[in-house]
Amino acid sequence: MTAVIETEGLGKRYRRLWALSDCTLSIPAGHVVGLVGPNGAGKTTLLNLAVGLLAPTTGTIEVLAGPPRARPAQLARIGFLAQDAPLYAGLTVAEHLKLGARLNPGWDAEYARRRIDWLGLDPGQKAGTLSGGQRAQVALTLAIGKRPELLILDEPVASLDPLARREFLEDLMEAIAEREFSVVLSSHLIADLERVCDYLIVLVDSRVRLAGPVDELLATHHLLTGPRRDPATLPAGQRVISASHTDRQTTLLVRTSEAVLDPAWTVSEVGLEDMVLAYMREAAGGGRRRAPGYHLEVQQ
Amino acid sequence: MIWLTWRQFRPQAVTAIAALAAFAILLGATGPHLASMYAASRVAGCQGNCDHLARNFLAAVRGIYPVVFTLGLAVIILAPAVIGVFWGAPLITREFETGTFRTAWTQTITRARWLATKLILPGLAAIAVTEGLSLMYGWWAAPIGQAARVTGGVNFPLGMGPFGLPAFDTHGVVPIGYAAFGFALGVTAGVLIRRTVPAMAVTLAIFAAVQLAMPLAIRPRLFPPVHATQSLAANFSGIQNQGPGGHFAFTLDYLDGAPGAWILSSGAVNAAGQPVSVMPTDCVHVAQTTGDPTQCLASHGISIAVTYQPTSRYWPMQWTETGIYLALALALAGFCLWRLGGRRLS
Amino acid sequence: MIEFHLDGRSGVAPYMQLIHQVRQALRLGLLREGDQLPKVKDVAAGLAINPNTVLKAYRELEYERLAAARPGVGTFVTATLGGASLAAHGPLRRELQGWLAKARRAGLDDESIEALFLSTFRSAAEEDIA
Repeated sequence: MTAVIETEGLGKRYRRLWALSDCTLSIPAGHVVGLVGPNGAGKTTLLNLAVGLLAPTTGTIEVLAGPPRARPAQLARIGFLAQDAPLYAGLTVAEHLKLGARLNPGWDAEYARRRIDWLGLDPGQKAGTLSGGQRAQVALTLAIGKRPELLILDEPVASLDPLARREFLEDLMEAIAEREFSVVLSSHLIADLERVCDYLIVLVDSRVRLAGPVDELLATHHLLTGPRRDPATLPAGQRVISASHTDRQTTLLVRTSEAVLDPAWTVSEVGLEDMVLAYMREAAGGGRRRAPGYHLEVQQ
Repeated sequence: MIWLTWRQFRPQAVTAIAALAAFAILLGATGPHLASMYAASRVAGCQGNCDHLARNFLAAVRGIYPVVFTLGLAVIILAPAVIGVFWGAPLITREFETGTFRTAWTQTITRARWLATKLILPGLAAIAVTEGLSLMYGWWAAPIGQAARVTGGVNFPLGMGPFGLPAFDTHGVVPIGYAAFGFALGVTAGVLIRRTVPAMAVTLAIFAAVQLAMPLAIRPRLFPPVHATQSLAANFSGIQNQGPGGHFAFTLDYLDGAPGAWILSSGAVNAAGQPVSVMPTDCVHVAQTTGDPTQCLASHGISIAVTYQPTSRYWPMQWTETGIYLALALALAGFCLWRLGGRRLS
Repeated sequence: MIEFHLDGRSGVAPYMQLIHQVRQALRLGLLREGDQLPKVKDVAAGLAINPNTVLKAYRELEYERLAAARPGVGTFVTATLGGASLAAHGPLRRELQGWLAKARRAGLDDESIEALFLSTFRSAAEEDIA
């Protein structure tokens, strides 16, 4: 399967701080890719690099088989929705569609107009007076109106209320079902991504911690509970992601492609959110100290 | 992109058209009467010594006319600065501050085309507005200008020789250069500083500095000045300062035979051409008794050395100065294109 | 036409939930042979889930011979559940009631019974798949 985004050792530094380091990814086409990580992890940086709003400090990035911004024709194939859906406050909704039409040769005016109609938006309303959810919808229309092959969304629902959030995701799913394109969307909330993403990238503290199809990740991560044990005693093929112990019991999150045959363990599946949280905690250096002798594995 | 640029520029265009219209109405309401007063004064067709006719006319120009006269000069001088600060600086900073550049730069357009279109349309409008103001005002103020030139500019508050500071800057073609430069300067400040209010402040400061430096330091040197000597015996209008101990100095603001010339410096010299600043003792005595040592100084061979730009240099200077400002504007525009297109910004 | 819903907290994968709901509907007679299943686009939009998830569920149903896709039209039910299996419900229910009584006499409380049943059920299901 062709890759929509390929990076090799990609890094971006601002003054002395590395916003993104050593990022090597091959994101396949035809997926809804979730980019998840805490605030400041580097998600926006990675997405901005993908659309050419930033230039790499080190490494390379190729989008749709070419460097970003190589030619305007490449920009025509990529739709971008920046954080907070920046629109021109003085322009009306209809004028934003006109903007899309004038600046993109591949613009589908009929589709865009139908979408605005269906959303119940007033074409004559100035973008500055729209609600957050409405602005996100207009910005999404602007991004997919040019019929891109790849849609990149930077925290599209972060500042939306729950209803607006759900409606936005419903819309996005419908658009994908209608006409297939790849999507990369970032969020710091895993719950948003769980329903819609089938490929996941976990970015913490400027580095990629985990990347792969969701089904495969869930199938290869297991929660092991059993009597107190040193994680180092596990077979080599089982990589321990996180461990917590009480005096009697050990709970481990392991990643393995083999079956766990040791009868001492109770093996259970792990949910996406818990899996991602475990990687985030590991990246943060094991997390907080707890009361001695008592380690709580928080299930949320 | 042309549509988008126009749509974003529309509010400023409306303001500009309103300002032009208001200016035109003001000039149109007062201009015809001024012209008819001038025709009645018969200064235009006069041969020989028309000085008193001109002075009569200028004395009659009272009431609203001097107000409009000064206001017009102020408007034209300030227009390029206003354009630089309110059209130029926010052009790019608004896009950075609101984040809309992330929307604009991910459409199917190169950054070069985006910026070039955003520069050209308002830039041409800036030039048109400023030059339009200048031409309207030039038509209105023509009678006053001509009369003032006849009198040598002594009777009118602002020096009206063509090289006079407000006159040169507000007539001819230099407003075109100022407008282009002011606008380009504003845009560049915006590109580098990326926040609206600081960019506006920097634009104003730099533009003011340049506009002061040009007439004071650069314009006099655009062409090599002419040197001449004028005898004290000839008719001259100048101011003679007498300090203690026989020190004196001449200031000449009207050169015999070259009305309207731009006098860069003048001073008293002796027969050998060396500067003289102390009066001979017998002339001090003459000054004390009669108050006018002119004839006495002349008898000692003292005359006035003048450095000036003749009026024939007016249009060459206009075009050269305009060329300099346009070149600066283009250089700034090129810099902005390189800065935004080559480097990628966060 | 049936309508799907998702239980985000059940721990069951979304596509499995869709399959279960189709099967349940077939059992209860809400879906009959020839009925059209909701369009992928509508399910994806209605539940805000990835269309691929819906496709996966529908493909699984096709594999189980419960549905068939007609290109350009939609996915349609091709078989029913129940019928013969409904007849077996009666005796099975009585057997189950007997087992429950035995479990209570052995001293198991509700949670123990549920845990025992679920773990046995799950391991049996895994053996089926393996």
